[in-house]
Amino acid sequence: MSIAAQLKVLVVDDTTTSRMLVIDALQEIGFRQITYASDGQKALKHMMTTPAHLVISDYEMPGLDGVGLLQGIRAYQPTRHVPFVMVTGRGDKALIEKARQFGLNNFVTKPFTVASLKAALQAIIKGL
Amino acid sequence: MLRQAGRKYIRVIQGECHVSDDPDVVLTTILGSCVAACIRDPEIGVGGMNHFLLPGDASRISPTSEAERYGAYLMEVLVNGLLRRGASRHRLEAKLFGGASVVKSLSPIGLLNAEFAKRFLATEGIRIVSESLGDERGRRVEYRPVSGHARQLFVEAPAEIVEAPPPSLAASAPGAIELF
Repeated sequence: MSIAAQLKVLVVDDTTTSRMLVIDALQEIGFRQITYASDGQKALKHMMTTPAHLVISDYEMPGLDGVGLLQGIRAYQPTRHVPFVMVTGRGDKALIEKARQFGLNNFVTKPFTVASLKAALQAIIKGL
Repeated sequence: MLRQAGRKYIRVIQGECHVSDDPDVVLTTILGSCVAACIRDPEIGVGGMNHFLLPGDASRISPTSEAERYGAYLMEVLVNGLLRRGASRHRLEAKLFGGASVVKSLSPIGLLNAEFAKRFLATEGIRIVSESLGDERGRRVEYRPVSGHARQLFVEAPAEIVEAPPPSLAASAPGAIELF
């Protein structure tokens, strides 16, 4: 079984279409264990009870945004080292710098391609 | 931005998006195969317009293609821009324009743009209150983001150029001068 197929991934995005597009791309890359949340608060709650091996999150969401979710995951001991990839709009350099200070592992710029998402994941997951 | 008769005209070009809560603002655009989504929250009076054309070969556009990711991105930029100004997702209402088949011989990219926009709005639960999609003519659209009033003017496509066969030498008029 490939590494991708063994990893549990949590996809977080409040826009249903964008969330579906991330999930479709992940399936194309080879991920099979994918769950999703429609906002940061639900994602954080899910991570407390059922930690994933990888989180891919949108930044702009109502309530708890992507950086807030990242901070929450890093503050909770069992999930503090879970790789976190942010999906952001173009020109969000300041946001990426801020998120890196909170332990962001990598980011993908929208509109992403399967190749750009895969490259971002390969940079943080060995053997993907 | 063009100021005229107390109004501020802002042109939204392909790949762009503009959101405003200024009652004097009029968002304008010219569309062929492209689609403009005009979305607003009527309760707080904030609205916006985007203008997109799904890139690439129309025959390869599918619900999971790169083109759809581009379209979804531009729709999301507009919706997020509205939410940032205090709009509520469940109150959003949309008007759609464009998606014409301006050049008949080209692939049905206009139709696919229109279908994508409708599918996105349906998936996100955003109500379409009016639409003017398809046809074979371009459109000039004006949208007032606060009131939601929209005006559309069809732009007639130029006549199709029919390529005439080159005249044969035998048919040349007597006395014509041949230039090299």
